[in-house]
Amino acid sequence: MLSRHIPCGANTNYANYADFTKYLLFKFVEFAKLAFKTGRGCHSIYCTYCLPFIMLLCCSLTVAARPADIPESAVLPNQSALMLDAGYASIHDSYLTPITYDGLDLGLSLEATRWTKKHKWLWQLGVGADYNYVENKAQNNDLYKLMGDISFSMQHAWLGVLHPRLNFSVGPMAQVRAGIVYNAVNSNNPVTVRAHANVGATGMAWFNTRLGRKPITLRYQMQLPVAGAFFAPEYDESYYEIYLGNHKNLAHLGWWGNRFDMVNYLGADLRLGKTTLRLGYRSRLEHWTVNHLHVHDFTHALVLGISL
Amino acid sequence: MKRITLYFVVCVLLCGCAEQDEFEHDQVGNFEALWTIMDEHYSFFDYKQVDWNEVHRRYRARVSNEMTDRELFDICGDMLKELRDGHTNLIATHDVSRYWIWEQWPVNYDERIIDQHYLNFDYKMASGIKYQILPDNFGYMYYGSFSSTIGEGNLDLILSYLSTADGLIIDVRDNGGGMLTNVEKLVSRFIDGKTLAGYISHKTGPGHNDLSEPYPYYYEPAKNHIHYLKPVVVLASRGSFSATNNFVSIMKGLDQVTVVGDTTGGGCGLPFTSELPNGWRVRFSSCPIMDAQGRLTEFGVAPDVRIDMNENDRTHDAILDEAIRILTRATNN
Repeated sequence: MLSRHIPCGANTNYANYADFTKYLLFKFVEFAKLAFKTGRGCHSIYCTYCLPFIMLLCCSLTVAARPADIPESAVLPNQSALMLDAGYASIHDSYLTPITYDGLDLGLSLEATRWTKKHKWLWQLGVGADYNYVENKAQNNDLYKLMGDISFSMQHAWLGVLHPRLNFSVGPMAQVRAGIVYNAVNSNNPVTVRAHANVGATGMAWFNTRLGRKPITLRYQMQLPVAGAFFAPEYDESYYEIYLGNHKNLAHLGWWGNRFDMVNYLGADLRLGKTTLRLGYRSRLEHWTVNHLHVHDFTHALVLGISL
Repeated sequence: MKRITLYFVVCVLLCGCAEQDEFEHDQVGNFEALWTIMDEHYSFFDYKQVDWNEVHRRYRARVSNEMTDRELFDICGDMLKELRDGHTNLIATHDVSRYWIWEQWPVNYDERIIDQHYLNFDYKMASGIKYQILPDNFGYMYYGSFSSTIGEGNLDLILSYLSTADGLIIDVRDNGGGMLTNVEKLVSRFIDGKTLAGYISHKTGPGHNDLSEPYPYYYEPAKNHIHYLKPVVVLASRGSFSATNNFVSIMKGLDQVTVVGDTTGGGCGLPFTSELPNGWRVRFSSCPIMDAQGRLTEFGVAPDVRIDMNENDRTHDAILDEAIRILTRATNN
């Protein structure tokens, strides 16, 4: 059945693309509904999380195959920006507690995006730190999480596809993210270290238009680590034992079988003369299961930024 | 654009979905959470031959959602006492459940007798250590809690002061434990080479027997600091618990050391903390620590010389007197 809807390379036309996208969206929504309805979405978390990315990739490849009307210029989302994130955080770390905590998410980040010379590739560098202050449901204990990360990506761009002002880019990404989560009341498990180095993919779609007379760029971007290495102690291993020298089984190969991370961003860059204001939304997911330990953290944050 | 928006919204909604074992926030749910936490994390079920499923059957029958928090707390506290573990506590805002068996044993320590009749109220104090040279020219130091951080400089000054003494008495009676790093700091002053201190293990999974291979850990002599290698007597009691139990087990293995007094209180499981949906916290032994022979000391370390204080004698500390006799013999030989 699927072959009837899949477009084929250079012969792809808009109608086929639309059919294909509709088909994928239909299957995706159908799956999501089923997952939520039965409450079993969590058991197939990798499938549910992977499917959106596969969709994006398929869409991009399909788009790429289509002859495109390249616009004379493709304005990038704000080329260098300082961003402040503020929103909601949820933290579940079974090394510290079996209870899920939720509360405040704050973040500060820098992002730089640049074209290569022929406007076929662009690179993106991101540096940031984020802080979570979360509370348990009984409201008698807090967790503190402090993380820092740096990422770099090279993305191939397709300009003016589907619409003269709509652009796409997809490419590989490398990222290092590390920090700690602290629980003040625990005895010999008061803190856990998070450290993750990975490679993956990132994809971006941006659309240049106007809000009144002011130019505005709307952007959606996803960062999706695929594989890497990360740190995790054993199930009930104390950091004191690690301090004594037992370093066995601390480093783990991370892949979608044991770990899934994802960052989604949707926002607008409004250019006001020489300054650009950024307003957006960012969600971040960190999920892994290793050594019988479970981590599931996510944030939803409003993003405010300014060009540099 | 509508398609992209729809796709994005679905992605975001999925961020909140994950597999987690959440218990109901009622009395039964909290009881089950406590039982499950212990079932998956406690490390001495087999060693103590506790049938935890049988314990569940017995105590679950007493729990209902209609009972008060205090009633539930008492039942949960009683259930934890089945483990006979001084490191296992249920901690709520109104109470702390405990199995402090040493409260029922002879105290074997009276600070007033020592201060008045041995130190004449004349002693030094540094880093939580009370110290002085006794009239027989034996050093005496009392360390009341391994939670009191020992400064290396302070320890240098203490041992420098006591260096002229012919022997040293380290009194850790009624010391309920604290930080293992302080154990290492103190022991490292009484060894002259790399010393096997013991073995440490940990739970590797939720099964009762999911324990790691015991990992040997060693202490090194403190570099560029003062050491004391003359005869040493360690005074212990049932109140010497947890980190103090660990300290006594390591010191007992040193050639120049004699342990005098009562069996220590035990507590060789490094405790972790978890919590229930209602916010109560539970502490439990999770990482067994063994002595240098690979033995668990959960129920204490036996002394080399077993002796109790005479509760009716308010002027003499029989354990301290025995220590002085041992040091006198050692120095005369």
